Amino acid sequence: MEIEILGKGAFESALVHLQPGETFVSESGAMYRASTNVDIDVTTHSRSSGGLFSGIKRLFAGENFFFSTYSTDDGQQGEVGLAPTHQGEVHVIEMDGSSDWLCAGGSFLGASSSINIDTQFQGFKGFLTGESLSFIKASGQGQLLVTAYGRIVSTQVDAELTVDTGHVVAFEDTLQYTLSKAGGSWFRSWLGGEGIVLNFSGSGRLLTQSHNPSEFGKILGPKLPDRSA
Amino acid sequence: MQFDIGGNPHYGDLTVSLGAGESLWTEGGAMSRMSTHLELKTRLPGGLIQSAIRKLVGGESLFVSEYTAESSGMISVSPASPGSVLQRELKGDSLWLTAGAFLACTPGLSLRPRFGGLRSFFSGEGVVLMEASGEGDLFFNAFGGVIEKEIEGGLTIDTGHVVAWEPTLEYRIKGMGGLKQTLFSGEGLVLEFTGRGKVWVQTRHVSALAGWLTPYCRG
Repeated sequence: MEIEILGKGAFESALVHLQPGETFVSESGAMYRASTNVDIDVTTHSRSSGGLFSGIKRLFAGENFFFSTYSTDDGQQGEVGLAPTHQGEVHVIEMDGSSDWLCAGGSFLGASSSINIDTQFQGFKGFLTGESLSFIKASGQGQLLVTAYGRIVSTQVDAELTVDTGHVVAFEDTLQYTLSKAGGSWFRSWLGGEGIVLNFSGSGRLLTQSHNPSEFGKILGPKLPDRSA
Repeated sequence: MQFDIGGNPHYGDLTVSLGAGESLWTEGGAMSRMSTHLELKTRLPGGLIQSAIRKLVGGESLFVSEYTAESSGMISVSPASPGSVLQRELKGDSLWLTAGAFLACTPGLSLRPRFGGLRSFFSGEGVVLMEASGEGDLFFNAFGGVIEKEIEGGLTIDTGHVVAWEPTLEYRIKGMGGLKQTLFSGEGLVLEFTGRGKVWVQTRHVSALAGWLTPYCRG
């Protein structure tokens, strides 16, 4: 399987080249083009992880209920183009099986079907701020596609780093993390408009996005009509 | 203290290396990544009443966040909207900013709200201005790209597209035409500049995007 990143900067998308017999899994609704020999199936889970409950857990992670799976139905090669919702970069993470990756809600775009996808709850602190508190956990060997709002910065964390939850894209689970506030007390963090942060420690790779979609939503939202109207 | 602005013009953000004891003031919620040990305090720039005005009429945060490094550290801040981040060193002079344009500054700058006048109040555009002055570095952001324009004589700009201007310029907030045009033309308010000085103009307008999106929103 070969994955090409099309476009540059604000409008990247992924083109997945499928060999006969290969399967790729994506967020439902992410496909924007496919060769005519590609068969699309819809499931609530990927590979072994358990059925309907996986779909429900994924809803809580801010992801879609369903996955789409793509494979060719005629023994030939095929291709599938996947586009994210937000304007920004798309990255391929090559997973060699030595470590798992965690993706923040909304940043998971797709993965080879050899990768197992599960949802991890992070506790309930996030409900206070309305920020996502679940991660998509990817394990196994293969390729993982993640998307971002804006630019993706890849950092090798060696000691400690604090990242606003709205800027986390994905990270290796060799990193430890705790949910916390930006500083001082919870009250001060709230006063300052600072949300929940993740304090990373240990060693591993971390991808962050330059912009926070929720912050943009907050300036756009008040200019839109009431939901009830 | 060292500054690095990356990602302009589409996704600009600001990264600052702080030495021991150094601080950065940021717009609330703008911090994206930082050294774990930085200390956060919330500050009311210009006092409670001025900050409250800023919050009520301008939709800006009431507080600015002050991040301080005890030893050395780094912090990145990004604006809410995609676009460009700009820097301006103030040497005792000042710069006028429109609501939402403030991103960060070195501590000690004075950030005073300036009311845009009654007309702005009725137009729904909420023209609130901020005057930043003192000595230090000021960082501000724009939605979209930025055009820096030297004005000599006069220029009229839609308020939603104005990011900042130098105080050597005289400005007047007015409608395009009379009250009727102001209310119904869709052009909203404009800033009419006269004199000599620089103005920063952004190529996109959040209200215009919201206006386009509105018909697609369902209850």
